[in-house]
Amino acid sequence: MRVTRTIGLALSLFLLGALPAFASGLAFIINSGGASISLVDMSSLKEVRRVPVLREPHHLALSPDGKSLLVGDTVGNEMLFLDPVTAALQRRMPVADPYQLGFSPNGRFLVVNGLARNQVDVYDAATMQLLKRFPAATMPSHLDFAPDSSRVFVSLQGTDSMLAIDLNKLAVQWTAKIGKTPAGVLWHDGHVLVADMGTDYVAVVDPADGHVTGRIHTGKGAHNLFIAPDRKIIWVNNRAGGTTTSLDAATLAPLRSYAIPGGPDDIAFAPDGKLWITRRWAEKVAVLDPASGDYQTIEVGRSPHGLFLNPKGSVAPSIATR
Amino acid sequence: MGDPFDLAAGWLQEHLLIPLLYALGAMQWEDVAYGWALFAVYGACQVAITYVVCVPLEHWRPVERWPDARAVTVDVFYTVVSRVGVLPLFTFVLFYRAQVALNGFLADHGWVPPTLERLFPFLLGQPALTFLLYAIILDCADYWRHRLSHRFGWWWALHSLHHAQRQMTFWSDDRNHVLDDLIGALWFGAIALAIGVPPLQFPLLVLVLRFLESLSHANARVSFGRIGERLLISPRFHRAHHGLLAAGQRSCNYGAVLPWWDMLFGTADFGRGYVATGDPTGEEALASGSYLRQQWAGLRRFAATFAGAASPRT
Repeated sequence: MRVTRTIGLALSLFLLGALPAFASGLAFIINSGGASISLVDMSSLKEVRRVPVLREPHHLALSPDGKSLLVGDTVGNEMLFLDPVTAALQRRMPVADPYQLGFSPNGRFLVVNGLARNQVDVYDAATMQLLKRFPAATMPSHLDFAPDSSRVFVSLQGTDSMLAIDLNKLAVQWTAKIGKTPAGVLWHDGHVLVADMGTDYVAVVDPADGHVTGRIHTGKGAHNLFIAPDRKIIWVNNRAGGTTTSLDAATLAPLRSYAIPGGPDDIAFAPDGKLWITRRWAEKVAVLDPASGDYQTIEVGRSPHGLFLNPKGSVAPSIATR
Repeated sequence: MGDPFDLAAGWLQEHLLIPLLYALGAMQWEDVAYGWALFAVYGACQVAITYVVCVPLEHWRPVERWPDARAVTVDVFYTVVSRVGVLPLFTFVLFYRAQVALNGFLADHGWVPPTLERLFPFLLGQPALTFLLYAIILDCADYWRHRLSHRFGWWWALHSLHHAQRQMTFWSDDRNHVLDDLIGALWFGAIALAIGVPPLQFPLLVLVLRFLESLSHANARVSFGRIGERLLISPRFHRAHHGLLAAGQRSCNYGAVLPWWDMLFGTADFGRGYVATGDPTGEEALASGSYLRQQWAGLRRFAATFAGAASPRT
């Protein structure tokens, strides 16, 4: 018995020893134009597997319980539920045109923007039942929530406007003109910040009525913005300018601009302080060191878009893809 | 190193299209622009590869020699417009988005449009096999689209533009009336709803198929042999379809890439040699007119079939 146990222990250690290449984390990169998800080992910065999906995935969101990573496949009209640790497929669910998606901070609502279908769907996150569909002309693209989960703010990229929806009443609170082509949305310090892709600034919006109270110039085609985990810096990707700009989160003053060519889009923050930035037209992810301004490059699939980093993830030996 | 086609499209997007969209205040179309850039790059490569292969073939073993090949020039224009320029943009802006919207509408009502991969889950993760199955189904659908375009008088009035060319070369594949192209797009839109045609997942293989379609129109004495011609459509096989005696509503060899459908549905003719091409019943403008004259003549003939006057001869 003791011999068997010893052999078993040795075998376990051997198998664990076979995994260290993937042990330091797993990144999920959505290849919108390639109908796939690249799984990247966060230590070697190499793609270790490419998971096929149906047609055209764009964005993803971690479920409130942290047990599922939801990936929206717009043209495939389905939501994929993946294990955020191993990337194994948990289930598929028919959903019309799931483009951008997000869970409210209290975990009660899942909001799904249908960019091609001009609609915003509000789901009960626990049951995945559709609570209400809001017509949203045109091109509802990005979203963010008020911290108390009372409202969701949606940019209408095909217009000059943004939409605020009261989630408790399930009613539109206001629609307001923001700028030329509103894109990325971020709640910050009592305001809503909206990147305007048609211009070179981020609009500061009053969440009460959608009134624009200020503008912060970042770069041409300000597209998307994210706040760092320590909440000290806001990062803005400027699509047309091919730059990433850091803003002081306290003052909103621009700090520094980094050249990130190839259509910088989404950002995820790694534990080592580096930024992972998808470059839509370059088939690459840039891993930016904010201190030095240098970035490393990861080859992925066509049109990388949404991304998710799981420092505790490791790819499953055999990933079910169906 | 990424896919060179994608990187070329990315370069086009970053250095040409995005500055243009930004200047025009149309940045909301940036994703569509990238889709078009991909189509355009692959289309340009299709044209270039076809040119490099077919021009030597047509010089080496021409079926016909023409002292004046000006009629071919307009076919070059058709090809560029169709594969690189306006039509891909039109297709991407309208067809693609319409497909997304319609599929979403159906999903809302509890019916998820099937895809081959959903019907046969083992196909997920097998891109080459999946594409081949899609290609075979689409080729069959195209056989029937093409056959019906000869069958109905109003449709033949449009499609006869394609057959009017007496100087058929590899450039002739895309000489179509715009309404004929539109019907084709709607046809494949319907097929896409039934089996979920992947939009841009297999561009390299699409490139190969389009190359074969162009090659089948080449002015070259090229046959694939007794067995090969029963596997893939050769210039000799397709030339019979464009023959003077085959023009009209009762033709043969309707297939685009695979001759199997002609063999299966009784329209294959492997016996004809390298016949003269053209449509003796069509008007001269369709054969030798400018692009606009050809389009206008096709439209006029199309309208005439509904008016009941001067319906196109069969």
